[in-house]
Amino acid sequence: MLDNFNRFVIPNLGLFMDGLTITVRICAIAFAMAVVMGAIACLIRLYVPVLRYFAIAYIEFSRATPIIVQLLWVNYVWPELFGFPKSVEWAGIIALAIQSSGYLAETFRSGIEGLARGQVEAGLAVGMTRAVAFRRIVAPQAVLVMAPSIINQFAVVVKASTLVSIIAIPDLMYDALKVVNQWFEPIEVLTSVAVLYILTIFALSATAKRVADHFRGKYGLDAQA
Amino acid sequence: MNNAVAEQKPILECRDLRKAFGAFEVLRSISFEMQAGVVLSVIGASGSGKSTLLRCLNYLEQPSSGVVFLDGEPIGLRRQADGGLKPDSPANIARMRAQIGMVFQQFNLWPHMSALENVIEAPRQVKGLKRAEAIEIGRHYLGKVNLLDKADAYPARLSGGQQQRVAIARALAMQPKVMLFDEATSALDPELTGEVLDVMRALAEEGTTMVVVTHEMRFARDVSDRVMFLHQGVIEEDGAPAQVFGNPASERCRAFLSSVAH
Amino acid sequence: MFSETLRQSLDLSIFWEYRQTLLVGLLQNVYIFFASAALAMALAVVVGLARLSKRFWVRGLSTFYVELFRNTPEFVLLIWVYYVLPILLSRLLATQFNLSPFLAAVLGLGVAYSGFMSETVRAGIQAIPKGHREAGTALGMRDGAILRRIVLPQALRRMLPEMLSQLVSLFKATSIVSLIAVPDIMYQVSMVNVEQMRPLPLYTGAALLFCLVIISATQMIQILSERWRRRGWA
Repeated sequence: MLDNFNRFVIPNLGLFMDGLTITVRICAIAFAMAVVMGAIACLIRLYVPVLRYFAIAYIEFSRATPIIVQLLWVNYVWPELFGFPKSVEWAGIIALAIQSSGYLAETFRSGIEGLARGQVEAGLAVGMTRAVAFRRIVAPQAVLVMAPSIINQFAVVVKASTLVSIIAIPDLMYDALKVVNQWFEPIEVLTSVAVLYILTIFALSATAKRVADHFRGKYGLDAQA
Repeated sequence: MNNAVAEQKPILECRDLRKAFGAFEVLRSISFEMQAGVVLSVIGASGSGKSTLLRCLNYLEQPSSGVVFLDGEPIGLRRQADGGLKPDSPANIARMRAQIGMVFQQFNLWPHMSALENVIEAPRQVKGLKRAEAIEIGRHYLGKVNLLDKADAYPARLSGGQQQRVAIARALAMQPKVMLFDEATSALDPELTGEVLDVMRALAEEGTTMVVVTHEMRFARDVSDRVMFLHQGVIEEDGAPAQVFGNPASERCRAFLSSVAH
Repeated sequence: MFSETLRQSLDLSIFWEYRQTLLVGLLQNVYIFFASAALAMALAVVVGLARLSKRFWVRGLSTFYVELFRNTPEFVLLIWVYYVLPILLSRLLATQFNLSPFLAAVLGLGVAYSGFMSETVRAGIQAIPKGHREAGTALGMRDGAILRRIVLPQALRRMLPEMLSQLVSLFKATSIVSLIAVPDIMYQVSMVNVEQMRPLPLYTGAALLFCLVIISATQMIQILSERWRRRGWA
């Protein structure tokens, strides 16, 4: 087994590093986009009349569609319909971002709605405008409570990113499958890659749990984990 | 003659009972005997070990050392041929517990079962009674606590006092040799304690053997045959209510009684 | 130009044309869903109970199980079960051991979701007040009877809403079984696409189809949960 490890994993380390770089890049960009898109969708849903129905439809759609369907849809339909994305990598990023933005929008909403009404009123009572009250009182508390969920969502993005190989993005999973199909020796390669993914995702969810415990201890807040 | 012998034999006996949680000794050498038909009230400040004592009596809490005998049989331990004792099987411990009824401060009714279902559960599961038999017994005891009309109600629809009366019926339905009451009225609003105390008083008058851990000094004085005052895990005072309340020998007991008599 | 492509994308007549093939595919998702859901829930009860065990090593082992499978991407697990597991088992048993794509899918998804669900089971059991168990003990009931008659009936009702939403996620996840060549709905869609080269309506339709199934399931769960809450169950 060690022999096979030396034959199939070690010589391909360069290839796997390239794949890993792409995985990290895709996850980071997709997650950043998801946070922004999720925040926008959430704010529209909460505060903008009429438009909020589009926000609700978007959130529901993104959460109700499996990631693999979104990947294929963005990759094959969007270029014809909207003229972009121009590359498979961007198609992967957009699909991952759509998927996560729906979940994040709902996380943000429950964070904001969970905040006692009295908090805003206390701000208004000392003469703050609504915008100031939102920025200085609502947002900071909501972020504290939501931080663990947000970190967890990043772990979900990493998990889902394993699927971008199906639209031929050469990520870590793609390279692993390529080596496997070349030599038909799947044990060492697939197990190594699986361990790598598991450790990464475990580290992320363990961080989320630490953050949740920290806030619970420090502020007595029940953070969402 | 036979009668005299039967009277001599205690229904419940504690022999050098000790219980420690870590380094903290909650019970320090408790020994007493109790005859059938007696109502024993255990009083004392919170933290004196009253509840722990009660929970050791039916082995919910495993004593650190010492033995409790129910009707001459050790609980949690089995007599060996050579007269020594060794830990008993879970089945036998359960069989012994089934002969001791317990009423909890927090009622602990099972919310997914109606009042009647709560009462018949143990007769069915533990004694293996047929459903019809169990229902007959269950209705009898619900009637005894004046809740026959609530037989089909779920606990969430009952007041605290009603829930505690169902819990008493649940314990009685096993026809136990001894009933234990662990501060049965402490979780109730003041206006609801009366109905529960009335039920307990009626049981006492029928000759039910009862050990009652309580803060209700009037109940202890008026209803019980015997009162025991516990202080830091030791029996400080043990006697007839008139003596314990009227002329306690222990200075601590005197101080405790004057602190609660307001 | 845009409106033309939009019209093409939403022209779902091709779904009607290939309704039989596609339905057969969807049926595969349904079979896999039920089989892996049954496996996941059975494992979840066992592992959830093990997480609350008095024995240190049982707790440790079950915690490892939960962390392992909660943190493994479903696709990686699926591929591993399909490619690696049969080889390992063949070597272990010294006989040829084969795993059909269908079985690999059920096993992979079932085990993956048992990790999440066991946490739901654990939380549901932990939420039952200790006194409810003690009342049973005091009446002479044995641990098994207390678990079966008092703890689990309450815990199951409590965890039902969350369990159902995890089942919805599981159904969504069945869409990846096409990647190990199970002829499910996405596999059939891709086949039709190879034949017809009409990705616009095919992939848009697939997205809408899942949307429809998942949203109606979620709505139903919400209505049911509400009803249970009103009855004081959940």
